[in-house]
Amino acid sequence: MNGSDTTADVLKARFPLAVEGVSTFRSDLVITLKREFLRDVARMLRDDPRLRYNLLLDLTAVDRLKLGITPRFATVYQLYSIPRNQAVRLIVPLPWDGETEMPVCPSVTDIWPTADWLEREVYDLIGIHFEGHPWLRRILMPENWVGHPLRKDYPLGGEPVNFSGDRDNPRFAHLGQQIMEGLSFPSELPPGVDPENHMVINLGPQHPATHGVLRVVAELAGEQIVSAHCDVGYLHSGFEKTGESKRYEKFIPYTDRMDYLSGMNNNLAYVLTVEKLLGVEVPLRAQYVRVILAELQRLGSHLFWLATHAHDVSGTIHSLLMYCLRDREMILDIFEMFCGGRVTVTGMCVGGLRQDIPPAFPEAVKVFLREFRKRFKEYDAMLTRNPIWVARSQGIGYLAPEEAIALGITGPMLRAAGIPLDLRKVQPYSSYDHFEFEVPTATESDCYARYLVRMREMEQSARIIEQAINRLPGGPFRTADRKVVLPPRPELDTSMEAVIHHFKLVTEGYKPPPGDVYGMAENPKGILGFYLVSDGSAIPYRLHIRGPSFVNLQALDTMARGHLLSDLITLIGSVDIVLGEVDR
Amino acid sequence: MLQGQDGRSGSLGILLTTLEQVVNWGRKYSLWPMTFGLACCAMEMIAAGAPRFDIARFGAEVFRGSPRQCDLMIVSGRVSNKMAPVVKRLYEQMPYPKWVIAMGDCSSVGGPFNNYAIVQGVDKLIPVDVYVPGCPPRPEALLDAIVKLQEKIQRHEKLGDRL
Repeated sequence: MNGSDTTADVLKARFPLAVEGVSTFRSDLVITLKREFLRDVARMLRDDPRLRYNLLLDLTAVDRLKLGITPRFATVYQLYSIPRNQAVRLIVPLPWDGETEMPVCPSVTDIWPTADWLEREVYDLIGIHFEGHPWLRRILMPENWVGHPLRKDYPLGGEPVNFSGDRDNPRFAHLGQQIMEGLSFPSELPPGVDPENHMVINLGPQHPATHGVLRVVAELAGEQIVSAHCDVGYLHSGFEKTGESKRYEKFIPYTDRMDYLSGMNNNLAYVLTVEKLLGVEVPLRAQYVRVILAELQRLGSHLFWLATHAHDVSGTIHSLLMYCLRDREMILDIFEMFCGGRVTVTGMCVGGLRQDIPPAFPEAVKVFLREFRKRFKEYDAMLTRNPIWVARSQGIGYLAPEEAIALGITGPMLRAAGIPLDLRKVQPYSSYDHFEFEVPTATESDCYARYLVRMREMEQSARIIEQAINRLPGGPFRTADRKVVLPPRPELDTSMEAVIHHFKLVTEGYKPPPGDVYGMAENPKGILGFYLVSDGSAIPYRLHIRGPSFVNLQALDTMARGHLLSDLITLIGSVDIVLGEVDR
Repeated sequence: MLQGQDGRSGSLGILLTTLEQVVNWGRKYSLWPMTFGLACCAMEMIAAGAPRFDIARFGAEVFRGSPRQCDLMIVSGRVSNKMAPVVKRLYEQMPYPKWVIAMGDCSSVGGPFNNYAIVQGVDKLIPVDVYVPGCPPRPEALLDAIVKLQEKIQRHEKLGDRL
């Protein structure tokens, strides 16, 4: 804890009036700051050679109405120092008299450019005005929306569920009829766009190469991109609000549906966060199986990325789409054998796994690995030296390393810029430190480098799976802590205590201690983070998700400038976005 | 339906049928779905198009990027309030005759997302022909929906009226 002490000491020595409190909960260092010092402190945290918190991982806010804390709103900044491998969380309470429409917080967009979209998200969903933000507009909700959904006095919404299937019921009267007007409205052009001298074209939200419902407003001079602005939110599903109305355990199925190509990785990141909050230890067997599942899912995600990316960039490689999807089916079959699900798996539970692996599981994984390695060589040969592929991806979308960090990029995109940040290596979780693997990096930082990094990552994933499956330890597959996981069925017949535990867990759920934690894991797309605030009840008070795709997509504008319109498709593919996670 | 005079199908002879039946027969085996992936269900829709499940066996493999070339919209995923006008616009851009499959729980009834952001069923925006339950439905379920839709198309009685 030497490093975290330094942060607080350095901060107190430099700004004695700024710090309101320093606390440590579950090894997270939390510093509460006065609002007027935020920008000075932020700049110092970033630039001081002893601290160097160069990566703003996450920015969110908490509405503390029901916690009874004044002031009601507070912004939260999760910082990470890549050179020092240290994290700190800043909490900035925002004094607000309630007479203005929303509380005011100074913007940090000029210190960490990644704050741009993150602050817009907070403005949109919680309603905090960021002073000095260049273009504070709604980002996820439609522009004509009224209210801020993540405020605690805003209802969850939705409709009452009617369980009788009666067709005469007025609830079904609308079937087959258009009852919503679904009016569209003109939206404002982003700042700096010059429609007089340049052509502004609209790509999406329905476009075969945007990998979902992404809309890009591209400003063109001839065929050259002057700027490319993303309009996201077309798949905003209210994950955070839903999570704040359900018990911790009940949110796991929702994480599958966020980044629906990496359900297992999302499960893992979420259960790790809840386990951190609860302070639960997970048995070694469960950790190994989690690693196997997460790495299989990483392979699945990268295969799907390869399939669609190659298909978008050069339509002639349609066969690769078919090959990759064929291999992904093998992974999905293994998942199905394990938990019954293909895409939305819910394979893990807090405290371990939902069930132990079936006896045929190890053999199926070994068969898959054998097949995959053989075929992977073919895919590598199809693309890596393919002249069309190289011409369309080499030198496209350069992102300087310092630019990438400032924009908060994580995952393969950051590693393609030469920065070997991989949480599996630098902050090993779920016993990743038991396995030998490398973190592939590149220095060119273009689309081709990102492709190479992902291809090498697939090889490393296969290596990890092989080690884990060969050294799979025996023992229980979930923790023995009866306060967190259900007792095994046979125990219910003999032990009254087990019956009580079962009853309490099913009816009430577990209640973590009050506090807040930030948990993260290395997803195929980058760092997936969960910020949980517990008020001591069985339902999370605040649940915030840092979607790596959301943050990475922000770099599209920087990367696209100066390239041709056709390169935009290559760029969108090389970011590897999943809109379910961008919009959450 | 199509039968030669000697009772064997395929032989040259006199064909007795109605125009509707021939046209419906042609329509049902040449559905052109729109490349319109919304959320998780789109992954299973793509899997249905991949070799293992092979949607081409049912004549519905020509996924088109433009709604103007499609006659089948597979709403594969949750429809948010921001997306609602877009879905409606896309449906209106498709030429007649056109059909809609609501794939998955979200597009059928809202699914697990009973909240402020999601339209509780795409049938509030556009008329739906076949609902596919599942979260997400397996590719086989989507293929079943296409077969069901083909049966529905074959039953259509009068040409010219808007489907």
